[in-house]
Amino acid sequence: MLTRKHLAQAALTLAVGALLSWPGPGRTMDISDAPESIEIDSLSELYGPVAFDHLMHTDMVRCAECHHHTTGTGPASPFCGRCHEGTEEAETVACTDCHPAKRFYAEYLKTLENPELYHIDKPGLKGAYHLNCRGCHAKVGGPTGCQDCHEITKAGEKRFDTGTFAPPAAGRHRPADH
Amino acid sequence: MKDIVSDVPAIPIVSHEKPDGTRWTLKEKLWLGLSPAEYRAQFFRNPVNWLLIGIFAVGIPIILQRYIFGLASVTHASNDYPWGLFLGFGLFGMVPLSASGFMLGTTVEIFGRKDFHPIERLALLNGLLGYFFAVIYLEVDLGMPWRLPYPMFVSLGPAAVLFLVAWHVATYLSVQIAELVPAFCEWYGWLKGKRFIRSIILGLTIAGIILSTLHQGALGALFTYAPGKVHPLWYSDAFQWIHFFCSSIFAGLSMLIVSSSICKYFMRWRCDDTFLGSVDRLTLGLAKGCSYAMITYLVIKIVAVAHDNEYAYLLTGWGQYYLLELGIGVVLPMFLFAYGVKHARVGLVRFAAVISVLGIIWNRINTAMITFNWNLYQEIPHWKEVWITITIYALYFITYRFILYRLPILYEWQGEK
Amino acid sequence: MKEKISRRSFFKGGLAGTVAASVMKDGPAKAAHDFQGYPDAMGVIVDLTRCVGCRSCEAACNKEQKLPRPAEPFDDYSVFEHMEHGQKRRTDEAHYTVVNKYELPEIDHPLFRKIQCNHCNEPACLTSCFVNAYTKTPEGAVIYNPKVCVGCRTCMVACPFYIPAFRYSSAFHARIMKCIFCYDTRLKYGKPPACVEACPQEALTFGKRKEILDLAHHRIRENPGKYVDYVYGEHEVGGTSWMYLSSVPFDKLGMDMHLPREPILKFVKDFLAIVPMVLTIWPALFAGIHLLATRKDAMQQQRNDENGEG
Repeated sequence: MLTRKHLAQAALTLAVGALLSWPGPGRTMDISDAPESIEIDSLSELYGPVAFDHLMHTDMVRCAECHHHTTGTGPASPFCGRCHEGTEEAETVACTDCHPAKRFYAEYLKTLENPELYHIDKPGLKGAYHLNCRGCHAKVGGPTGCQDCHEITKAGEKRFDTGTFAPPAAGRHRPADH
Repeated sequence: MKDIVSDVPAIPIVSHEKPDGTRWTLKEKLWLGLSPAEYRAQFFRNPVNWLLIGIFAVGIPIILQRYIFGLASVTHASNDYPWGLFLGFGLFGMVPLSASGFMLGTTVEIFGRKDFHPIERLALLNGLLGYFFAVIYLEVDLGMPWRLPYPMFVSLGPAAVLFLVAWHVATYLSVQIAELVPAFCEWYGWLKGKRFIRSIILGLTIAGIILSTLHQGALGALFTYAPGKVHPLWYSDAFQWIHFFCSSIFAGLSMLIVSSSICKYFMRWRCDDTFLGSVDRLTLGLAKGCSYAMITYLVIKIVAVAHDNEYAYLLTGWGQYYLLELGIGVVLPMFLFAYGVKHARVGLVRFAAVISVLGIIWNRINTAMITFNWNLYQEIPHWKEVWITITIYALYFITYRFILYRLPILYEWQGEK
Repeated sequence: MKEKISRRSFFKGGLAGTVAASVMKDGPAKAAHDFQGYPDAMGVIVDLTRCVGCRSCEAACNKEQKLPRPAEPFDDYSVFEHMEHGQKRRTDEAHYTVVNKYELPEIDHPLFRKIQCNHCNEPACLTSCFVNAYTKTPEGAVIYNPKVCVGCRTCMVACPFYIPAFRYSSAFHARIMKCIFCYDTRLKYGKPPACVEACPQEALTFGKRKEILDLAHHRIRENPGKYVDYVYGEHEVGGTSWMYLSSVPFDKLGMDMHLPREPILKFVKDFLAIVPMVLTIWPALFAGIHLLATRKDAMQQQRNDENGEG
């Protein structure tokens, strides 16, 4: 199980806009180097930024649960371990460094055509956040509602026809029925 | 109506000349030689017309509603059942019943059976009007009816079955109009037109056979676009078109028997002695054709079940419904036809023809609506959809009657021909 | 193989013989051979294990395609309970895509399934359309041209997935309403469709069909036990651009597992093959029968003529 010692070996930098690159060299990161909290806001548009309590999460899970092998601690999944067991800490550990915000745009898709590329199924940034965060929350009973983590913006209300943009008579759904 | 005769001094118009030797004007021909008052009187005396008035009084406003507010205002606007009664009955039902035109055309012109001549024109008219009103039904059903000519002239999708149907129905309508031109020419007094048509009648008739074979079949083949949606018993990749084509043969003949019977009993004043004298004999001839076509149809229906190995379905509820349809709609009239022919029971044959006509409509509605989406739910048409369907049929009836009253269909024109 | 070739030539020959032949250009040949899909066609893998039923895709689609305002907000999840004729929601004139919820007794959480046009390689809607209103673009989208559509709704009958809907509500602006893969506004500019971009869970993976199909099998392989070993849409009705992965058998999510592997057109070819036969054989056959049937009359006529001369 996770011990203080394990946690102490690792550090997390989840940052998106806020996070800076790791300053010095070393094999594994130290928990003390991890930021206490991060505002995840690079994708905020329909929903506001997420105030992510990084410290609280480092108390609960190993770095590798979110950072895979990039913190130099060895990956959580044995599948990843086939290649990444014992790899060193990466130069950067921010999600944005590997997970593209524009995952499905032509420029990025082109890079996937490299026949030597193994990680053809790496999620984009939004997917990585939600699959990882929400996926774990669903398992351990964390919050899973959209607005549990980020508040809907005006643009979001417009997109979802909700809040101030809610349909006047939000009654029963009726397709053309006479 | 027989009653007309009592109002008119002589028999109704059968030639260009009045009994006193002067010529009928076109207007008088249209009014059947009656004064407007007499015409009105005979119109309102007929109870059928009161029924028609009732149908139109409700139907016409609903049809207007459809054209102003859209199909959703008169149907259930189902996306799962894109085709309702307008096509299920109006197109898929009316077209096989109109096969009489090419059947009799073939019999008389190709097979040289001149003895069927007295009902040839009735068969052609029945065909023409059936097709024409199938197109009218289509015009009610199409989302954009003003674009009817698009598949011909604007944007062509020649690899589609419906493309074939559209072209063939359109050309066949022209062929049938041409085939009936002689009747109009005689009545109108323009013999040049008639002589021209006579000279190409063999070509027209053969064109009629080709077009009919293909589009009667094509209507069936339309369902091969939905192999999983129509119940397997009513569906067959290989045989669908043959089923539709083959059943159209007895459908057309049966409809002709029904139609000629109605003429014989309710429009006797308009029929001449040739027609009245031969209609019973010819009815038996048609019935013979029907029973042959029906046994062929039954065999290929069974072959289709065997071909796709669908025996297991026969034991289900759908299977019983299928057997019921075949039993009542085909086997029963087939035996009645055969018995009626053998014992010269014309009344029985006429009764069988009515069953056969209803049976074929039942089959088409089963294929297009009832067994369609057999894995989903059953769509029940909106009452307005039903009413519009009846209204268009009433219009068909009126047009049919209007022409029969006037053109030399049931009688021989007495003037120059 | 031999049979296929002869059918193809029959088909071409037949169409050449139809009344329409003179006005035809290239339509039939394209539809006649076995079309395997455009090499660079795009596609989407819908991973049903990821979908959480947030309806973001529905909302994004609604805005992108300028569809009518919804009756309920897109964050109203009570719509999952809406049933009509015992059926869950489907696409209609106001919805190009909908998500439905499935509660299976053997699984402790609900599953969701997004539906939209699957953009078949050889679409039934396209092959059934007699005014060529549909086009399969090289990018993989099946798009629709409302300017030529007559509103016959054969495409709706033909679609094995029950996708095209009709705008029944208007008499003057009736048309088919159907997902077009955001072709006009996004796909042709190298952008993913709006729903893909909106999906927070990346339940929708967009890419070249060929590559995402590899990806789908890769995902099945790399996550043993997570998925049923089947990519829905890889072969259904000749293959579709949109394909599905699932953790439970697909029929439990209301997906038709009895669809043929061949394109719908294959079922129609039997009939199309007889067209040229009828066109060539019938005239000769019936003209011959006519001559035979009336030969006595003709002989009589001839005798009369001879007698007349003599």
